[in-house]
Amino acid sequence: MLTKLAGGRLYDPANGRDGAVGDLFVRDGRIVADPGPGAAPDEVHDLSGRVVMAGAIDIHSHIAGGKVNIARLLMAEEHRAAAITTEEPCGCGVGLATPSTHATGCRYAQMGYTAAFEPAMLPSNARHAHLEMADIPLIDTGGYLVLGNDDLLLELLASGAGEEAVADYVGFMLNATRSLAVKAVNPGGINAFKYNQRRLDVDEAGPFHAITPRRILTALAGAVQRLGIPHPLHLHGFNLGVPGNVEATLDSIAAVDGLRLHLTHVQFHAYGVEGDRKFSSAAARVAEAVNRQPNISVDVGQIMFGQTVTASADTMAQMNNAGLAHPKKWVMMDIECDAGCGVVPFRYRDKAFVNALQWAIGLELFLLIEDPWRIFLTTDHPNGAPFTSYPELIRLLMDRDHRLTRMAELHPALPEHTILGSLTREYSLGEIATMTRAAPARILGLTDRGHLGPGAVADITVYTDRPDRRAMFEKPDLVFKDGRLIVRDGVVVAFLQGRTHVVEPAYDPTIESWMARRFDERMGQRLTHFRIAEEEIRGGNGLVRHACQPGSF
Amino acid sequence: MASDRPTHLIRPVVHRDVVCPFCGLGCDDLTVEEEPPATLAVRSTDCPVARERFSRTPSAEPPRVAGVAVPLAEAVEAAAAVLAAAQAPLVAGLGTDVDGARAALSLAERLGAVVDHALSDGLYRNLAVLQRTGWIATTLAELRNRCDLLLVAGPDPAALHPRLFERWVAPAPAFQTPPSREVVFLCGEPLDATRTALSGIPVTVLPGDPAKIGDAAAALAAALADPSRALGAAGIAPGDIAALAERLRKARYAVVAWAASAFDEPHADLTVERLVRLVRDANRHTRCAGLPLAGHDNVVGVNQVCTWRFGVPLRTSLAGGMPLHDPHRFAWARYADVADAVVWVSTFRPEVPAFSAGQTVIALAPSGTAMAEEPAVFIPVGTPGIDHPAHVFRSDTVVALRARRLIDRGLPDVATVLKAIAAALPQEAPTC
Repeated sequence: MLTKLAGGRLYDPANGRDGAVGDLFVRDGRIVADPGPGAAPDEVHDLSGRVVMAGAIDIHSHIAGGKVNIARLLMAEEHRAAAITTEEPCGCGVGLATPSTHATGCRYAQMGYTAAFEPAMLPSNARHAHLEMADIPLIDTGGYLVLGNDDLLLELLASGAGEEAVADYVGFMLNATRSLAVKAVNPGGINAFKYNQRRLDVDEAGPFHAITPRRILTALAGAVQRLGIPHPLHLHGFNLGVPGNVEATLDSIAAVDGLRLHLTHVQFHAYGVEGDRKFSSAAARVAEAVNRQPNISVDVGQIMFGQTVTASADTMAQMNNAGLAHPKKWVMMDIECDAGCGVVPFRYRDKAFVNALQWAIGLELFLLIEDPWRIFLTTDHPNGAPFTSYPELIRLLMDRDHRLTRMAELHPALPEHTILGSLTREYSLGEIATMTRAAPARILGLTDRGHLGPGAVADITVYTDRPDRRAMFEKPDLVFKDGRLIVRDGVVVAFLQGRTHVVEPAYDPTIESWMARRFDERMGQRLTHFRIAEEEIRGGNGLVRHACQPGSF
Repeated sequence: MASDRPTHLIRPVVHRDVVCPFCGLGCDDLTVEEEPPATLAVRSTDCPVARERFSRTPSAEPPRVAGVAVPLAEAVEAAAAVLAAAQAPLVAGLGTDVDGARAALSLAERLGAVVDHALSDGLYRNLAVLQRTGWIATTLAELRNRCDLLLVAGPDPAALHPRLFERWVAPAPAFQTPPSREVVFLCGEPLDATRTALSGIPVTVLPGDPAKIGDAAAALAAALADPSRALGAAGIAPGDIAALAERLRKARYAVVAWAASAFDEPHADLTVERLVRLVRDANRHTRCAGLPLAGHDNVVGVNQVCTWRFGVPLRTSLAGGMPLHDPHRFAWARYADVADAVVWVSTFRPEVPAFSAGQTVIALAPSGTAMAEEPAVFIPVGTPGIDHPAHVFRSDTVVALRARRLIDRGLPDVATVLKAIAAALPQEAPTC
């Protein structure tokens, strides 16, 4: 079947198109070249005057896994209040900050997103995360594997293992858990928390294994490069939320010494200690470092005001925040000698100085970091805010007047602590398309996603160009997934299942005998059972493998 | 279903590294011998749960409608006819794997039914506290590798989870220096098998009133703050409480473990809450974590699936096409009083409870299940991890395991049957 999407304004940065009017042709789920005047499309959509982009891709969103289910249980009041009724063909669900799988898939699709990636998949919980992601309809998914606090890696490093052995370990773990990238969360810190340390400096040897966070960070960044994994090490840095943590953030950039590094939810890691309140914006310093160093990319983790729940593997940071829980209940878990999880409900208040400044710091980062290919639109869902706040966030980036209006409603001391009011930049549609489509696909190595060129998967979103950018991005006119129309005027009209994106880097399998021994001795699980079979991922029908290129970075 | 094994079998067939799906400990080291055509015997462990459950493999029997043997398709049609007419259906039991749970929950959504697991009482004593206050918890590998003080609250959990001490406590902690471990039983006596498993490890028993575990936990929490003001509780002397509190303060990584389904006092969730508070208080001084044990018949896994599918856990009604969670109203034993049709799923054990007269029961259970009263429809199904591959969750809620198929008796899996029933309902179900 041939479908023609005729006459839309194409925002397709990967192919150099910035609003040029053109036709798209879709056959068998992919975009194809113009078949010529003789071809007779089976279906034609007249998109004259409409804005056309690839399906959006969320690079960092906690959508599945054990911590999300704990968060759902903790947010019982919200879930009772936010029920979704079954409406053909759509099923039921509940939740805002931690929606059910069904609601997650539907809400993403309704906003024009066709993929979202779970950025904190613990090795021991990977099978659960995959089972859960398979129940998220409509969108593609995948997971980043959390390493860097696992006792086996720390043991390996403590034994003096070289770069090759570390890369073999990482390579095995990515393959075994069907992951797309490597994530490090407060490297060394979660492990130290299990020994009752509530803080660990970057150059402080951790307990038991006596490895410094810096060593873990450089070892993992090096392994990612050695294996040729497209996505750089995805780092949840040190001292999350602590005033003055900008020093550790800049230190992390320095530590990798030119290797590629992705700093995630960098808003939470861009704090200074200036001023009466010993809490200040360090966004300009972070932005300056990012602008100067092309090996660094970031996503923001913007906070938006209201009730949410924070869910993180960083038990060390979450335990420190537990006293701020709203409502007053929280969960910490130490997990399987590989990481942990901390779930703390939280309400960001626009009249609270700290929260207002966090909001401003996030926006400063967006506006000061110049290259939209290296900064990504996230709220660290649900930590900064639910992903459903993206349309409002896009409006804040594209509309300076709206930004200033909103700013005037916040804590009165805010203006003297932020340069936000002086920043005149407004994102263009092309920059939004870059940040939410082309750049995520490129940095994850998804070569046939995030663009509208021939060969791309036909994940396509069509908008009416409205001056109110929130209204525009909240409710696309049409959303296609794999060439099928799934959303029309904000309503889900058809269901299909997404796919699971993975990498399968090559590694020396001799590491497996060491791993098998350690699993028998320590984990009480056979290595063969730890490894997730292809048939387990979406019933064996849904893996999308992306190429690794050792030595290319 | 095609067999994935050679057709020319050498007797007996030995299956190694078998995953046991039954009690939630996730033991994956079993050796199971198969005497063709379909007799299984566990050879590698004396675990009574594994031995008994794996050995139950009677030959497949046909489905029955009103006691009369019929082909599967006919039983499916009969079940669909019953459910199409139901006003207040209950989909419960739910002793099944992840795929079975998905299919059962989808059917329940379609019917507007109430969903619950047969064994959720114990689970709910824990979940109630999680939902009210949260907690600090840990997992089995952390217990094994980091715990230097294990405090077992109440009856010995090994009665429900027989290999707990052998696999997760007897090995010395690998990630503590120096490796040391001791075990304290509070208001409960270790079983003989537990004493054997713990030989060589210091064990202290503080026998106390098992109905007052919560009081003992509260006294310990108070003594943590000020050892000089320790009070006796649950029949345990003040000096013993003070000494244990001091030991908790000095522990490097203490674990407080309990099996809530073994508590038999009323309002057992309040006992759990006291234990959870004790753990939280201990973290003012050191590291300490709780280990709530539950998990027979994949109750933990089914609850996980329900929570991600609907955003709320088990004991949820889907009437009106939306999830409404109420752990009191929608506990299966309570709701069964008003349900007019019951779909009871029990793939891990040959048991179906007796329901009131007037209720139409559709039972999906193993061959050879003895029933108090012949159900309207009985469909024999395979057991996960014996007749078909299956995902099940471990007790600590983190680790999901893939159990494989061992034999082929020609029994369908629950997911297949439930999907067929849903497809046979008058209107086609949503495709999602």
